[in-house]
Amino acid sequence: MTEKETEQTKGESLNQAVTPSGIPILEVYGPKNITDLNYEKDLGQPGEFPFTRGVYSNMYRGRFATRRFQVGFGTPQETHERMKYLFKEGSNGFVLTIDLPTSYGFDSDDVIAEGEVGVTGVAISTAEDLAEIYSDFTPDNVSVSLSIRPPVSAVTLSMLTLLATTRNIPLKTVIGTQQNDPLFQMSGGPLQTITQFFPLEGTLRLNLDIIEFMAKYYPKLNWMVTNSYNMRETGLSAVEEGAFALAHAFNIYDRAIIKGLNIDSFAPRASFFCSCGIDFFEEIAKFRAMRRIYARTLRNKYGAKDPRSLRFRSSVQTAGNSLTAQQPLNNIIRTTMEALASTFSGLQSVQVASYDEGHGLPTEESSRIALRVQQIIGYETGVTQTVDPLAGSYYVEALTNDMEERILALMEEVEKQGGLIESVKSGWFESRILAARLRSQRAIETREKTVVGVNKFLVKEEHDINIHQIRAEEWGTMRAGYLKGYRNNRDNRSTSKALLDVTNALKGEDNMIPVIIEALKVKATMGEIHEAMRIAYGFKFR
Amino acid sequence: MLKMSKQKTRILTAKMGLDCHDTGIVTIANMLRDAGHEVIYLGLHNSVEEIIQAAIDEDVQVIGLSFLSGQHLTQVNKLMESIHQKGEDFTVIVGGVIPKTDIPKLEAMGVRKVFTPGAMVADINNYISQIVNS
Repeated sequence: MTEKETEQTKGESLNQAVTPSGIPILEVYGPKNITDLNYEKDLGQPGEFPFTRGVYSNMYRGRFATRRFQVGFGTPQETHERMKYLFKEGSNGFVLTIDLPTSYGFDSDDVIAEGEVGVTGVAISTAEDLAEIYSDFTPDNVSVSLSIRPPVSAVTLSMLTLLATTRNIPLKTVIGTQQNDPLFQMSGGPLQTITQFFPLEGTLRLNLDIIEFMAKYYPKLNWMVTNSYNMRETGLSAVEEGAFALAHAFNIYDRAIIKGLNIDSFAPRASFFCSCGIDFFEEIAKFRAMRRIYARTLRNKYGAKDPRSLRFRSSVQTAGNSLTAQQPLNNIIRTTMEALASTFSGLQSVQVASYDEGHGLPTEESSRIALRVQQIIGYETGVTQTVDPLAGSYYVEALTNDMEERILALMEEVEKQGGLIESVKSGWFESRILAARLRSQRAIETREKTVVGVNKFLVKEEHDINIHQIRAEEWGTMRAGYLKGYRNNRDNRSTSKALLDVTNALKGEDNMIPVIIEALKVKATMGEIHEAMRIAYGFKFR
Repeated sequence: MLKMSKQKTRILTAKMGLDCHDTGIVTIANMLRDAGHEVIYLGLHNSVEEIIQAAIDEDVQVIGLSFLSGQHLTQVNKLMESIHQKGEDFTVIVGGVIPKTDIPKLEAMGVRKVFTPGAMVADINNYISQIVNS
């Protein structure tokens, strides 16, 4: 036997006495580790303050988590076809991803879009595009979360409003989520990427206009405050995710209140999108702690009266950065564990990442398997049958307390930086990200942290797997042709006039959504509306 | 900690196009710097012209690019064509989420090496030291 083999026969110490966030783990937990825990005050019944056990009394007994599915590639027509397929397979909600040009407010035929049209998501350049994506579905019966951020989300919210109005669907019945995170939507938000093509000032202004418009007209449409998932994917820990996601939300609430909005007018539909990493108990504790902190802050600091304002509601996606390109089928095991942790965390909507993420965009097969993970957990394992089944576990409760304490301490640090938005502007936030990235990679390189298939248990030959085929050139050509026709088929004088109105309105203080709707009605495109908004700020980047 | 490289190499790292996923490239740039190389990170959204100009100005031997969002073939093709046209000679290394079937295509364009997720910075460091020494 080699030395290594002899070692293996002796049994192995896994040697993980701390959570990934650095919280020491005891060998055994018992009553003495939660002596201060007061059931009424710290946990409460599910659906009751401080909502540690969940925001609804019956949770999955009442309604199983939305099996949300990430969809969106190529043209609006192809995307609609994929939605129909997934709906048939049992998905009942979608996260609609858009391509990178659309994410930055560029039309598909903009020169900057070359090679990127339809690649990471669907292209949306016109009001008609969004209508095509919905086609047979209507926004009052299928829940769509558009993966987007301001300034672009101001235009897509306008498109959605126009779509509903045109089809005679009352806005008060529209469901889904309007993502509205000004900072973290683009891969966690390196400052450069949120300021390169649009002024941050404008992004933050539109963020508030969206909140205001939705508070007024959309009582059932959620608005996503923090895209904590993307932020976490940069390499941050669970404690950092919890602290920064909440600090970001409260920073935006402060701004909305300064604008004159009442907390109970916008908080009831506020929602989050978080990540569920591979460390099972730490993630569960994170979500329980976040709910408690959120409820207490909304009540004590913001004086929220509406009970719905106190509920930390979140969708979750299993962590893409826990997946490996090596031995890709192992990822199904990882995502299953993460989906199970998400279910134990009592979240409102769960998305499971596809096992082929390390190789490319999901294929039909890998998407289906991801959905099956949730269905097997939901329909076969029985874990959804009772609410918050881990409550009262000495470990889970002690860890929830630890997480809460650390999240609060870090939130205080952010406060000292002048709030989250300031900390992003100053570079403090990005330095936290860099430190986390280096820590994590060094731990993998030194094998302090084991990643199966990457730094341990490697195989000689990796099998080939099917890869989603990108047809960027074809999509680019198709979309360019479409947009040419769209522009030829409009009254350019009305369009120019409406675009001028957009520019002028942005210089004033009125809500921008109605003005953008008017521009869409006369067929102004996504790119043109963005250019009109840049002009208002005298912002140039080309 | 990575082994310190005997020879300092000047390396330009950058992202191209609209892709803004920078975890890989930022981590690698910093760790290669720790290993003793002179690494310039040009940030996001660079055009072909910006990259070539910076590579000339900074007098680098190696250009390292990273892609996550599926635009590697389009962007690398444009870059390599322009490098050849200008008669420049840089060693171009690409990393990121690159489907296996695209690796030979990138190599045919003149890319020296493609690293995919899970690659260790120690191996990238060794590779750079090796090609620069040979």
